Amino acid sequence: MSGLGSWAARRLLLGGAQTVAVVVLVFALTEALPGDAAVALAGDQPDPARIAAIREALDLDRPAYERLADWATGLLHADFGNSLTSGRPVSSYISDAFGPTLLLAGLTVALLVPVGVGLGVLAARYEGRFVDRLVSSVTLGVYAVPEFAFGVLLVTVFALRLDWLPPTAVGYGTDLLGHPAALVLPVLVLLSRPVCSLSRLVRAGMIDALASPYVAQARRYGIPGARVRYAHALPNAMAPAAQQLARTVDWLLCGVIVVEALFVIPGLGTVLMNAVAERDVPVVQGLAVIFGVITVVLNLGADLVAHRFAPRAEVAA
Amino acid sequence: MSESAAVAEIEELTVEVGGRRIVDGVSLRVLPGRVTALVGASGSGKTTTGRALLGEFPSGARVTGFVRVDEALVGYVPQHPAAVLNPARRVGALLYDIARGRVRELPRRARRAAVREHVLNALAMAQLPDGSRLLRRFPHQLSGGQQQRVVLAQALLLGARVVVADEPTTGQDALTKRRVVDELAAVAARGIGVVLLSHDLETVRALAHEVLVMRDGRVVESGPTERVWLAPSHPWTRELLAEQPPLRGDTPATSNSYTVLRVRDLRARHRDVEVLHTPELVLRSGECLAVLGRSGSGKTTLARCMAGLHRGYEGEVLLDGVTLPPSLRDRTRAQLATVQYVFQDARASFDERRPVLDQVARTAVRLRGVPPREARGEAAEVLNSLGLADELAARSPARLSGGELQRAALARALLARPRVLVCDEITSGLDTVTRRGILDLLAGLLRDRDDLSLVLITHDLDTARLASRIAVLDAGEVVEQGSAEDILTAPTHPFTVSLTEKRLVEKRRDQIQPSSHA
Repeated sequence: MSGLGSWAARRLLLGGAQTVAVVVLVFALTEALPGDAAVALAGDQPDPARIAAIREALDLDRPAYERLADWATGLLHADFGNSLTSGRPVSSYISDAFGPTLLLAGLTVALLVPVGVGLGVLAARYEGRFVDRLVSSVTLGVYAVPEFAFGVLLVTVFALRLDWLPPTAVGYGTDLLGHPAALVLPVLVLLSRPVCSLSRLVRAGMIDALASPYVAQARRYGIPGARVRYAHALPNAMAPAAQQLARTVDWLLCGVIVVEALFVIPGLGTVLMNAVAERDVPVVQGLAVIFGVITVVLNLGADLVAHRFAPRAEVAA
Repeated sequence: MSESAAVAEIEELTVEVGGRRIVDGVSLRVLPGRVTALVGASGSGKTTTGRALLGEFPSGARVTGFVRVDEALVGYVPQHPAAVLNPARRVGALLYDIARGRVRELPRRARRAAVREHVLNALAMAQLPDGSRLLRRFPHQLSGGQQQRVVLAQALLLGARVVVADEPTTGQDALTKRRVVDELAAVAARGIGVVLLSHDLETVRALAHEVLVMRDGRVVESGPTERVWLAPSHPWTRELLAEQPPLRGDTPATSNSYTVLRVRDLRARHRDVEVLHTPELVLRSGECLAVLGRSGSGKTTLARCMAGLHRGYEGEVLLDGVTLPPSLRDRTRAQLATVQYVFQDARASFDERRPVLDQVARTAVRLRGVPPREARGEAAEVLNSLGLADELAARSPARLSGGELQRAALARALLARPRVLVCDEITSGLDTVTRRGILDLLAGLLRDRDDLSLVLITHDLDTARLASRIAVLDAGEVVEQGSAEDILTAPTHPFTVSLTEKRLVEKRRDQIQPSSHA
């Protein structure tokens, strides 16, 4: 077990280095974009003198590496810096927007796991028969539709034509939990593709597991069918699914920009999009740190879970 | 004994797959406390017959005849016990589930403790006394022997009246075999009917009360073990039981033989653990050197060091006085061609998608720079000389038997024109008749090719008989080496004595034979 512990520690160190690399890269890329916050703030009065004044006020005239170093020093004290455009601390941006994003992600995952795994097990159980063909073709079909198209379709049908649900979350602010109806369509859109990829992975793993000698042995010795499927076969199908699930959660937490924009949900994706448009570098960098940490932790978690389900495989950093 | 005494019965069973009868009119009675052995070469239909007792048949099979089993409780110990242990669950998972089915009548509160007691009892019966520690482990953390005993414990826990054991001793060394024989004898002593499917005649003789000799799906002869052994009536049985002819490759004339390969002060490691220490081992031209040892003794590691497949070692492997680089990658083509390796699992050493002939020919192209067309011609010739006709050679590996593939693997190595051929347990998975064929072939190669030396890695004393010299390995140390005759007739080291003391038959016989006769 100590081998596993030191492996996890190595992975965390590596993840820290990766996050630093991401932050530096994002900083460089935002610098490379034409225009800066001063231009954005100047708005429809792009007078060069005014832009220069704003630049000086915001310290944007100092060399890029100094600004990066300053910001990094602040980060060591958990200070993400202040927004260039509003002056508000970056941490308040993140904490405000994290709620809606976390809510959407949590609901989606809570539905995704039982539905995805259940469909996969169901399809594998009736492999090649009608149920399997139905599940497989529907999941393949839905997977082929991009989120924005699916979202527009759902809004058109259920919000505009049938008027069952609100089309967007406009006007509800960050208190989405108080208006559950506004969450139905976004969660459906977020679920659509992950459910398909997860169920297809589980199905493939389950078909192998159900045909294996150890499942035959469990059946031979009179273990009930459901127990064989869920307790003996499913764990063997979970290792690849766990990795896929981690990627999905990562995607959900690190900016489902299209869905948030479509349903006007004030989550991290929306904040990121606005910050990039306004060249609000501290906000973009703050988000990059958060996204980097989330990705590293989730992947480490997924590898640990996969190791539990496939204990024979050697862990590799 | 009366008809009803049998715990399982098969009558006139015929199994047909794709128009071919793999089992043809087989009848069998399993009596409580008795061991019934089905003996035959691979493909004789013994596994299909054994699986019929479990109510399992190959897919698409047409089955006639009838199988009767008391209360449908039949345990199964397959040839590779690891395959029926779930790699993602701890060993205890299935055991607990089986036990849960047996405590339904108890009040809910008492079940947990009862389940655990049942499981630990079954493990103890299967000779795993410290079961509680074992239950928390994953299958890959157990030794092969422990895995087999856990699978046996599953059957005992089930309360099986019949246990089908498929090739339980195949590929095991003499000491492990003895332990498996003891285990199965103990199972029979509990009044369970044991059906032993095996081509390991020594085990069958030590264990079985009744023997059915199978060939091509039919029972050609059956009767009490001792009768069949002493007075076989069918010619096939006689061939199967024939004593191994002395195969000794002639000891090379000392005058013109020279040292081909020398291992000097070799210390090999796996990770940080030293698994092998060989101060000095010499292979002379034209001789056959057997490296004899139990599984885990380091003999395969030694072979792999010679062939450049294991580079974690200190010391030297010298070919014609020149040090060989530890890793294959650093060896020249000529060096690669000179030392060739034949693997234990021939099937795993072939690409399943390409015809055998192409793969065999590739060696000559890669290592000797022969043009592909010529190489194919040469490959066909060598394959023919090893008994594989053109029609067989053109097939994909999946459509060849284990013995045929092992011949193809030998042909593939020979196409490099090696001077040292390292054979790692190449006969251990094969039935008696096929094994004899391969050993004859090796003896023939030694006779016909003056420049070829063999290193025979084996745990099997009969296979080691082929060698002119034997080195005995135990726990990574060469404990004894010398001429084959000396080692086999007058071993001096206690470990060698225990290996050669193959009175398995006599040892068991007096313990289990005297039970009541049918």
